[in-house]
Amino acid sequence: MTSPQIEIQLIAVVVAIACAIPGVFLVLRKMALISDAISHSILPGIVIGFFITQDLNSPFLILLAALTGLLTVVLVEIIQKTGLVKEDTAIGLVFPMLFSVGVIMIAKNANDVHLDVDAVLLGELAFAPFDRLLISGMDLGPKSLWVMGVVLLITVFLLFMFFKELKVSTFDSGLSSALGFSPILMHYGLMSVSSITVVGAFDAVGAILVVALMIAPAATAYLLTNDLKKMLWISIALGVFSAVAGYWFAHFIDASISGSMTTVLGIVFLGVYLFAPQKGLISVLYRQKQQRTEVSLLTFLLHLNNHSEENERHLNHLNEHINWQKVRAKTVVELGVKNNLITIKHDVVSLTEKGNDFTKLALEYIITNKDEKIEHMKEDFFLFRG
Amino acid sequence: METKFAVKIDDLTVAYDYKPVLWDIDLAIPEGVLMAIVGPNGAGKSTLIKAILGIIKPIAGSVSIYDQPYEKQRKLVAYVPQKGTVDWDFPTTALDVVMMGTYGDLGWIKRPGQKEKKASLEALEKVGMLSFKNRQISQLSGGQQQRVFLARALVQNASIYFMDEPFQGVDASTEIAIINILKELRKAGKTLIVVHHDLQTVPEYFDWVTFLNVKKIATGPVKEIFNDDNLTKTYGINYKVAINK
Ligand SMILES: Nc1ncnc2c1ncn2[C@@H]1O[C@H](COP(=O)(O)OP(=O)(O)OP(=O)(O)O)[C@@H](O)[C@H]1O
Ligand SMILES: [Mg+2]
Repeated sequence: MTSPQIEIQLIAVVVAIACAIPGVFLVLRKMALISDAISHSILPGIVIGFFITQDLNSPFLILLAALTGLLTVVLVEIIQKTGLVKEDTAIGLVFPMLFSVGVIMIAKNANDVHLDVDAVLLGELAFAPFDRLLISGMDLGPKSLWVMGVVLLITVFLLFMFFKELKVSTFDSGLSSALGFSPILMHYGLMSVSSITVVGAFDAVGAILVVALMIAPAATAYLLTNDLKKMLWISIALGVFSAVAGYWFAHFIDASISGSMTTVLGIVFLGVYLFAPQKGLISVLYRQKQQRTEVSLLTFLLHLNNHSEENERHLNHLNEHINWQKVRAKTVVELGVKNNLITIKHDVVSLTEKGNDFTKLALEYIITNKDEKIEHMKEDFFLFRG
Repeated sequence: METKFAVKIDDLTVAYDYKPVLWDIDLAIPEGVLMAIVGPNGAGKSTLIKAILGIIKPIAGSVSIYDQPYEKQRKLVAYVPQKGTVDWDFPTTALDVVMMGTYGDLGWIKRPGQKEKKASLEALEKVGMLSFKNRQISQLSGGQQQRVFLARALVQNASIYFMDEPFQGVDASTEIAIINILKELRKAGKTLIVVHHDLQTVPEYFDWVTFLNVKKIATGPVKEIFNDDNLTKTYGINYKVAINK
């Protein structure tokens, strides 16, 4: 690897982590759309900042643009509070307006501004290493790496300090304010961090990839865990993976780096959406099918429990007692045999001792809906997992 | 000796869109009572609690908690809402939800440790939910969720507890377990304000009662004021039908 290659990947990784952290909370607060809004509506802030500083990486520009991001949030809330339109509509009203103000400002001053809308939206990671941070002639590395490094440090520090406050205000804002952690303060804190992250990253990776890096890893992680801390770690890992994999993908097919990273993010989400162990589509379908079989098995066991006559317990008799349309009797019998619940002798089925106990407990559970007694049965049967 | 009041409400009027749902309420709740708020559906019971807790702004009147506005006394108060407005799909377990109750005592930045965890596990045990501690909260039944929120209120270590229909959707044995917890809390000197629908159990469970139907009809010791007269005023002439339902 050449040193620009390493630098590009380093920038991408730092951006990915800095985006993943606020992204988790945005997704949990069902505010994914607001990151999209911020990423566009900061444009006028960037343009004004650029007039003043002539430097896309200047901290002053970043602050000014981040303030435009906050302005978006405030405007959305004001419109929403009128009660006339819903939040998504308010977002749809605000950000195109601010964005177009930015576009007009660029167009009017096209001669003085070396800034175009494409660059803001799509960015070009490949050029990031060329803009160096020079202090008294010393080359300290790419500017955007420094900018995003600082943003990341701030984000991690704030997350570390206010994790529990963020958690409780996201989960239950009523409790949060009762406990003295103002949900409004947390809301604007999160919005500020998101704005600063978007502004800091847009120059290197473009607004679209910033949004993708905020939302996709968090949405993917959400499918994989029921634990907030793990969700954060998984999001970070997925963001880093997509950044590096996207870079090499772009390298080999000679395509836009940002575009490739976004594509990888999409593919990873799709893969997890299909194959996630619990919430994934395939496992949900499998579980439903399995539950159907188990319900049939249980009906069958109850039938065996109620009848000692041999003709009632003959395999050929099965179809009358198991819903043939939905589940094949063979699957049901196999499941019963596999779990040692039934034995078959000369095509006549009998309950084993374990089958007897199982039937009793299952019946009890279904009637009383008490979970305690069937804890050990959850391992093998989906039916009891609620 | 002068009675100390945990909650004092003066001339409180609350309206949704200009339609008053609570009209000129005066109410003083003495410290250390286990009080039922009773009244028909839509009487404004939930609204009264929300107004006390500043969740809804009243159009007139004032509320004080131990002689101070609620904003200054937040930490003295725990609240179990009728229907939690939490995000049920949030990645969090029953134990984690209960732990959140301890955050208030911790204050900003400081994180929960072993002590908080132990208190939370004990609270879960009290409400009979210990075996569910690692369940994601959306995978609990309605009554189980209610119990988790009760446990959370318990660890909040408050002086005044507001509970909006804590017995809704819980089975008989859990109801007894919960009322025993409430009675224990009262013994420990706490004040409990509970919205309650089952009129039959009021004399057995509570020592104080407030009848509410848009206006305050009566408030006082169950022994003295829980009678036909007040029940009729609150529920109308057919209240006995309501009891037997
Ligand atoms: N958000 C709201 N907007 C408008 N009206 C409301 C709102 N919430 C409640 N109301 C009305 O205010 C009145 C009091 O409602 P409240 O929820 O306090 O009743 P409640 O006594 O708690 O009833 P329940 O026993 O059914 O819980 C009702 O007439 C209700 O329709
Ligand atoms: Mg109510």
